[in-house]
Amino acid sequence: MSLVTAVKPWFAKRVSRWLDRRLPAISEVHLHRKNIFILPTGPGILFLLATTLIFVTAINYVLSLAFGLAFLMTSLFILCILHTFRNLQHLRIRGAGAEPVFAGEEAAFVFVLQRNTEQVHEMLELRFPKGVWSYTNVLDNEQERLKVFLPTVRRGFLRAPRVTVQTRFPLGLWRAWSHVDLDMSVLVYPNPVKGPLPDANGDSSSGDSKSTQIGVEDFQGLRNYNFGDSPKQIAWKSLARGQGLKVKQFVDAQDEQLMLDWAQFPDIDAEERLSRLCYWVITLAQGSADYGLRLPGVEIPLGHGDAHCKKVLRALALWNTGAH
Amino acid sequence: MEVQTQIPRLTLWWLLGALFLVIAPHIFRLPVWVSLLIIACVIWRIFIFTGRASFPNKPIKLLIVFVALPLTIAQYRALGAGLDAAVCLLILGTVFKLLEMRERRDMLIVVSLSYLLIMVGFIYSQTMLAAVHALITFVVITGALISLQRENSHSSLKGNGQLALRLVAQSIPLTIVLFVLVPRVAPLWTMPVPVSSSKTGVTDEMSPGNISNLSRSAELAFRVSFDDSTPINEELYWRGLVLDFFDGRAWRRSGTAFQSYSMLERFQRPNQGERRGEPVSYDVILEPTQQTWIYALPLAQLDVNDVIQDRNYSLHIEKPVTQRYRYQVQSYLNYDMDVELGSALRARALQMPEVELNPRSKQLAAQFRQEAPDDRAYALRVLRHFREEPFFYTLNPPLLGEASIDDFLFSSRQGYCEHYASSFVYLMRAAGIPSRVVVGYQGGEINPFEGYTMVYQYNAHAWAEVWLEGQGWVRFDPTGAVAPQRISEGAQAVLENQPGFLEDSRFSMMRFRNTQWLNSLRLRLDSMDYAWNRWVISYDEDMQLQLLETLFGEEARNRLYLALGLAISVFFGIAAFFLLKGRKQQTHDRATQLYLRLTRDLATQGLVRQRGEGPRDFCRRVTSTRPEWTDAMEQITDMYVQLSYASHTQEARDESVQAELFERLRGSIRELRLRLNTPLKRLVLKSLPRQF
Repeated sequence: MSLVTAVKPWFAKRVSRWLDRRLPAISEVHLHRKNIFILPTGPGILFLLATTLIFVTAINYVLSLAFGLAFLMTSLFILCILHTFRNLQHLRIRGAGAEPVFAGEEAAFVFVLQRNTEQVHEMLELRFPKGVWSYTNVLDNEQERLKVFLPTVRRGFLRAPRVTVQTRFPLGLWRAWSHVDLDMSVLVYPNPVKGPLPDANGDSSSGDSKSTQIGVEDFQGLRNYNFGDSPKQIAWKSLARGQGLKVKQFVDAQDEQLMLDWAQFPDIDAEERLSRLCYWVITLAQGSADYGLRLPGVEIPLGHGDAHCKKVLRALALWNTGAH
Repeated sequence: MEVQTQIPRLTLWWLLGALFLVIAPHIFRLPVWVSLLIIACVIWRIFIFTGRASFPNKPIKLLIVFVALPLTIAQYRALGAGLDAAVCLLILGTVFKLLEMRERRDMLIVVSLSYLLIMVGFIYSQTMLAAVHALITFVVITGALISLQRENSHSSLKGNGQLALRLVAQSIPLTIVLFVLVPRVAPLWTMPVPVSSSKTGVTDEMSPGNISNLSRSAELAFRVSFDDSTPINEELYWRGLVLDFFDGRAWRRSGTAFQSYSMLERFQRPNQGERRGEPVSYDVILEPTQQTWIYALPLAQLDVNDVIQDRNYSLHIEKPVTQRYRYQVQSYLNYDMDVELGSALRARALQMPEVELNPRSKQLAAQFRQEAPDDRAYALRVLRHFREEPFFYTLNPPLLGEASIDDFLFSSRQGYCEHYASSFVYLMRAAGIPSRVVVGYQGGEINPFEGYTMVYQYNAHAWAEVWLEGQGWVRFDPTGAVAPQRISEGAQAVLENQPGFLEDSRFSMMRFRNTQWLNSLRLRLDSMDYAWNRWVISYDEDMQLQLLETLFGEEARNRLYLALGLAISVFFGIAAFFLLKGRKQQTHDRATQLYLRLTRDLATQGLVRQRGEGPRDFCRRVTSTRPEWTDAMEQITDMYVQLSYASHTQEARDESVQAELFERLRGSIRELRLRLNTPLKRLVLKSLPRQF
């Protein structure tokens, strides 16, 4: 047992290294004789067992037609090697990237499956290791786009592992597959974590930055009650829920500017800070206020719009990861 | 989209179709309650499918299994039919699995069981019809597998059916090769055989009426194909059993205790009797008789080890003939049997019933005996008596009383062959001449299309053998004395207009033999069936070796595996070639193909055309590194660009201009390729036709 457990990772590493050498990462893969593997499936083995049983019965009862049946099944089994193989052969696979996701979500990598000849490809199944199978058919259209999902854990660039392309068509007796590395990555934003936005005014180290003007028009969040706050702003609902006395905070529409600052969240560890900031970036992007971001070593000036939002999120995702 | 584990909608219909086909042939063989249970399960399954019922829960499943299983065993134990019970359980198991299947995995089990059920069908029937039925079923099961693989939106009855048909059709050539070449081995262990209902046919007892009963049947008894010409009808006495014990009414075999195969084997005396002249060789396919003896012309000699000839020259095999049985025989039509008669055999051949009921017959025998100078003359005198007195050959003789011989000889005088054979042998024995009854078949119908002889149940016959000094056993056929036509032209000719003839085969095509085209159709069908049996059903080790020797010579036996391996690889290779060659789409026209060949050659010289690099850019790069190719390269590039990119201009639409340009391009490319290749490849290129 210990031997097996010792050998297994070693073996997996060898296989992976062998695959890297045999099927190096490229932007487009053409499946052909040299990169398709093929073996019988479980049902294929069951089919063979039934064939064997029929053959033995044919011998014992001297049944010529049962011999014929056993041979027909054998021939069909052999023929299926070719048909299954052919279903993958001459298929071109290209990676078409993946939309950025938040950590914890599943990244949807888009693969473009293109047929190279008149040969159609049915029931092509793709998945990342231990992932969920996605499938499609390349029939009348020359190419099909297929999303394959990969769970994400932490922010930064996630490089897609080898994707398994397989098919069991037409009878499910054989499985032809290839492990393809298309050199794809996805940008993973931090996992947004909801939380109050502490007042940056006091803690802000740089005095020249414009900061939020607390107003009364745009709801911004809740903060703890401070003595002297207007009773109109008390969140009675959350008080009723037993969450303590909170005050609704509003951003003043007249002054739509908010600089999100790393320093706003003291006493919280770095990843958690990024998560909180991420939440506020999403929230602000939905409003009309301009916002900016300040991280140690990174500063994104105030702005608004889709591109700005992506820029800010990207900065959060890649901060301190060494990637740009 | 995610791969689902549920069963696709269409698949269930495919599977139900396959199961219907596979179970239908058995449905009348199964007990009624099993058939009803099957139908109930299928209906339940359809209700589940349409949402009107739910899956059976565990108690119901257990109930079904624990009621059905013992019931089946109890039912079949009474009959003692192990195989039928096993088949019944297999079918029930399949249907139960069908009822409770939810996932693809369950379906695969049902599919595997369906394949087994096809095979089970062959245990009961291996006719051509059964083979066609099995092939259709096979296609449907394959269709079920396909629909299981395809997603519903791309799955259609027609599409799946076509693909299934194509797959099966492509498998058939290899199937034939395997069928012919895979070595056939002897059974590994003995198996129970299905007990089918008793067949009509000659039995080992002959009493008045039981052979005439056979004339009611147009069932086939056996088919014979002679290597050379078929002997005349009068010679075709298919000898079965010798019946030498008479109890006053019925004839039986004496000493049946010694008739077991192992006893026969112990006391067998091969090649007894004297054979003269050239033998006739022929090949018999016997229909199932459920008996252990087989039929042949006397004096038969078989090269097969498991056929034993007993003291009476009858042929025995170890196990009852439950399936068509094929054997090859050489018969010496000119022979002597037992010129010396042992005392035991003589005593048996003179046995008379202990209680004498036929005094008048005895008297007649004594009277004839006095008139006749010797045994032969006596026998002929008896035959003359049958011929000259008003005896009638009829299928429907009146019933005989206790004194069957006296009744027949002196009052009714109407009888079928068993009456004549019985009374003839009685009269012989009454005169002290050793004699016995032989049962078998007489005559046969020649199939004009294939030249073989068909022997039917109505050809069943009984005759006599009389032992004469110096000659041994001599055949006498008293029926021939009464109805010579029966022997010369066959039973058909004499009996056709008699009531009762072929009565049990009311729908047999035999009844319409006077309608020309129907008769011709009947003979055609029979010849097809015969060929099927001869070449497919009874294809065995011997035939395999014979065939291989004619194909591959003497050493065939040793080369069998080599031939098998070779054949499989060849067929796999051919299939791979046609399936995998992958027709290119017409995106590359002919000019591009030529141009690409050139770029491949240039790539070997280190000049690799980059992705997206246009022909002109590439040309510039090539000429800058290899200025000696400048002229040719520029010319080729010009022509290629003109051919592929300027095809919309007026000039380009002119086909003859296009063709000429293409020819020039081909010439230039060839020239350049010859220049830039290695000497070896140049040689290869030169030897190829101009297209390359």
